[in-house]
Amino acid sequence: MNCKQANKMLSLRLDDRLDSEEVALLENHLAGCSACQAEWHSLQALDSLLSSAPMVQPPVRMRVQVMARLNRRDQARRAIIGGTTLTLGTVALALLALAPAILNLLNAPGIVPALVSGGPGTAVQLVAFAGTMGRTLWVLAEQFVLPLVSLGMCSLVMALVLNRLWMRAVRRLQ
Amino acid sequence: MTTSANETEWLQQARKGDQAAFGRLVVAYQTPVYNLSYRMLGNRGEAEEASQEAFLRAYTRLHTYDPNRPFRSWMLSIASHYCIDLLRKRRITWLSFEDEIAVPGGSTENNTVATRTHLASRSPNPEAVVARKEQEAQIQQLLTVLSPTDRAAITLRYWYDYSYQDIAKTLNLTISAVKSRLHRARRGLAKKIQEDGDNEL
Repeated sequence: MNCKQANKMLSLRLDDRLDSEEVALLENHLAGCSACQAEWHSLQALDSLLSSAPMVQPPVRMRVQVMARLNRRDQARRAIIGGTTLTLGTVALALLALAPAILNLLNAPGIVPALVSGGPGTAVQLVAFAGTMGRTLWVLAEQFVLPLVSLGMCSLVMALVLNRLWMRAVRRLQ
Repeated sequence: MTTSANETEWLQQARKGDQAAFGRLVVAYQTPVYNLSYRMLGNRGEAEEASQEAFLRAYTRLHTYDPNRPFRSWMLSIASHYCIDLLRKRRITWLSFEDEIAVPGGSTENNTVATRTHLASRSPNPEAVVARKEQEAQIQQLLTVLSPTDRAAITLRYWYDYSYQDIAKTLNLTISAVKSRLHRARRGLAKKIQEDGDNEL
C-alpha cells in the first residue's frame, strides 16, 4: 500500500468503514511511514475535538417566536386574499356597468361585417380589416376614454378604501 | 431515531392546520434544528433566525412530508438546505468570518438555564468552563473554513451521528461524494489546527 491509498482510508477508518483486512493493511503502512502516521494522529485529534462538542441549546423563546411568525404570515395572506377579492369584485362591477356601452359599440355599423368578412384571404382584406379595427379603437378612445378613466379611478379608489377597511378588520379579529 | 406516537399525532393535527400542535413539534425538535443552524452559520443570532425560518418552511410544506420518514431527518434536511443556501448567498462573508462565537455555558445574552450544556453545568469548576469555551470557540472557528456542503456533512456526521447513507440522502449527494467530502473536510480542518498551532508558537 502506498501513501495515497493509505491516506484515502484514514477518514473511513475514523468512521469505522473498513473491514479487518483493510485495517490490518493500513496499520501495517502506518507502522512504517511517519508522514502518514502524523496525518493519522492529527485526524484523530480533530475527531476527538469534534466528538467532544455537545449540542448547543436554543433560546427558550423559539416556540413563541415561530408561532408569532406563523400568525403574522397567515394574517398577511388573509389580508392579501381579501384585498384581491375586493379589488377584482369592484373591477368586475365596473365592467358590468360599462357592458351596455361596449355592446352598443359592437352594434355600430362596420365592425361586425368587418369581423365576419375580414378573413385572411387577401392582403387587401387584411388591410381593410386592420383599418376598421383602428377606426373602431379610435372611436372607442374618443367616446369612452374619459368615462373609462374616471370610472377606473373611482373603482381603484373604492378598492383601496375597501382594502384598508378589510385589513383593519382582519387585524382586529386576530 | 423514529417519530414517537405523540409526535405522530401532533403531526396529523398540524397538517390539518393546528398551529398549537405544530408548536409542540417545534419544542420537541428545536435543539437539533438550532444546533445544526448554529454549527452551519457560526453565531447565535443567525442560528435563531434560520431555525425559525426552517420551522416556518416545514409548516408550509407539511403536506409533502412522508410519514414513513422520521420527522427529525426531514426537519434537519430542510434546515441544512436553508443554511447552505444562506451561506452560498454570502460567499464573501463566510470566507472572512469573524463573528462573535457563542459558547454553550458561557454568559452570552440568551444564556438561560436552558442554554447551559449538560457538560458545563456538571462541571462548576471555572477552569473547566473556560477550557470548554475555548474549545467551542475553536470548533466554530474551524468550521468556517469549510464550504457550506462540507460543513453540513461534518455537522451531520459529528453532532447527529449520521451514517454516510443518511448524509447522502439529506444533502442529495452520492455515498462516494460523501466519503470524499468528509475526507477532504477533515484534512482541511486538521491542517487548519496545525497552522493555528504553528502561529501560536
